[in-house]
Amino acid sequence: MKIIEVKNLTKIYNGKKKTIAVNNISFEVEKGEIIGLLGPNGAGKTTTIKCIATLIIPDSGDIFIKGKNAFKHPSFALKNISAVLEGNRNIYWRLSVRNNLEFFAGLQGLNPKKIKNKIDELIDYFNLREKEKAQARFLSRGMQQKLAVACAFVRDTEILLLDEPTLGLDVETTHELKELIKKKAKEEGKTLILSSHNMKLVEDICERVIIINKGKVVAIDSIRNLKEFFGYKDFYFEIEGKIKEEIKREFIEKFELVKFKEDEYVTEIEIELKSAEYIYDVIDMMRKNSFKLKRIEERTPDFEEIYLKIVKNG
Amino acid sequence: MGDLILFKTVFKKEFIEMKNYLFNTLFSMISIYMIFVFMFFGIKFISPQAVKFGNTIEGLIIGYFIWLFSIFGYSDMSWGIMEEARAGTLEQLSMTPFGLHRVLIYRIISTFLLTFLYTVPMLFLMMITTGKFLHIDLLTVLPLILFTILPSFGLGFIMSGLGLIFKRLQASFQILQFIFIVFLLAPSDKIFAFKFLPFSLGVRLISQNMIHKIKIFEMNRLDLLILVIVALFYFFAGFYIFKICERIAKKKGVLGHY
Ligand SMILES: Nc1ncnc2c1ncn2[C@@H]1O[C@H](COP(=O)(O)OP(=O)(O)OP(=O)(O)O)[C@@H](O)[C@H]1O
Ligand SMILES: [Mg+2]
Repeated sequence: MKIIEVKNLTKIYNGKKKTIAVNNISFEVEKGEIIGLLGPNGAGKTTTIKCIATLIIPDSGDIFIKGKNAFKHPSFALKNISAVLEGNRNIYWRLSVRNNLEFFAGLQGLNPKKIKNKIDELIDYFNLREKEKAQARFLSRGMQQKLAVACAFVRDTEILLLDEPTLGLDVETTHELKELIKKKAKEEGKTLILSSHNMKLVEDICERVIIINKGKVVAIDSIRNLKEFFGYKDFYFEIEGKIKEEIKREFIEKFELVKFKEDEYVTEIEIELKSAEYIYDVIDMMRKNSFKLKRIEERTPDFEEIYLKIVKNG
Repeated sequence: MGDLILFKTVFKKEFIEMKNYLFNTLFSMISIYMIFVFMFFGIKFISPQAVKFGNTIEGLIIGYFIWLFSIFGYSDMSWGIMEEARAGTLEQLSMTPFGLHRVLIYRIISTFLLTFLYTVPMLFLMMITTGKFLHIDLLTVLPLILFTILPSFGLGFIMSGLGLIFKRLQASFQILQFIFIVFLLAPSDKIFAFKFLPFSLGVRLISQNMIHKIKIFEMNRLDLLILVIVALFYFFAGFYIFKICERIAKKKGVLGHY
């Protein structure tokens, strides 16, 4: 049984104009999986996450948490879910760090006294010890966000939903928080759905991603597979001297995605190959025409480029 | 078991918040006391007879006392939800497996208990100022206060619920507190139908005890029955309306908006 099942989820907002925020989305998440939810602004990520957390009631479709319908059994669903939602407003600004943690534990039905050790552990883990007694409003933005994440962990649920947890944080804090989330989620075997615009973060944490655009799923797969399917390999060759036009034409006919750039001394050939194996054909042709090869360089696109490509095509 | 933890958790937060806003609360208590003093001397000036012979001042004290109770609970409900929506914690609060309504009920009980910390000293202050010392019989007066105040929580639920959907209702919340005074003053002893208004009958019964020393089991059974039924009606109607509003807010996706 999958821990989260989203089936044909559709949400239409009837504001001043009708918005189909989520359009028939389905996916499943395995227990212990860390999955990324990606998509451009307005794609429907937050809406999807809030539906899973039963904060938004969809127009149609269902969500099952551990096999039970979340909208029919919200309290069962919420026993298993905690979330950090978009923005910096997940914690009580006028409660101290410790009081926030205690409050959210209690809200989940956990006795704060009994889990004192866990609370202390989280305070240390998220480097909040020196601000333990300070009201949350006096913390830096980064610390507030760490506290919000800690408050989600203290609820001790199997499922954790994080909606853009690093938005607005500097590079350093983003990196720190990423490592903290990754390690703890793995350690505790959490099922984690994470939405982010930070592809580095997603690539680093998530095993699988769901890419949505305009409310529809455009890809669900592991990052490795997506790279393989959508990735291409760019090869650069540096050749001494110039190349005859007819040979150039021959290259273009054979490999299609070829670009030439030349100056007096060298010619650069850039070839986009579907698979690395085609490199043999390229080399063969070069040998046949007695090219003087000076340098070869392989350039694989990073996940961000692949993501952009998928979103554009989807 | 879980409920006890939830209650303690909510109580602790209310208590911390009360401490945080201690200064504000003290300030409003002082203003409320000043208004009382003005009214007292006003009455004394206009009709000295009333002060000497009638029960006007006693009535004023009791009415004031109950009004304080009602607005504490009510404003915590209606204003509190708005505050959570504004602060952005409302969605987190809604994610408790116990349900938002249960959090609110524990909050009501917490405020009800904490309100004693303000209203009781105020009661004594008013008695000292006026020199009119009321009879205090906890066994009679506590249950009466509870059932008199219960409708204010029902109304609080309604306003919280409406506040979830229409986020900018807050101004009208304040006005309602003054409409409470109208309810309090409604002569339910003369017009039977007024017994079905919030507060009105309860205040009269409390006065019977605090002024005329009538014990709860000596009171009119029908009146007591009406008091309890009316209280429960307002409370549960409010609760039900809140649940409907919560559902609408979740459908519109505006629970976390402000
Ligand atoms: N309560 C609402 N009422 C009306 N429209 C809404 C509401 N919430 C979201 N929308 C619209 O629904 C669409 C999806 O919004 P959503 O917040 O789910 O996107 P998102 O993927 O989280 O975007 P972002 O990356 O900007 O956070 C958007 O067009 C948004 O304007
Ligand atoms: Mg979003």
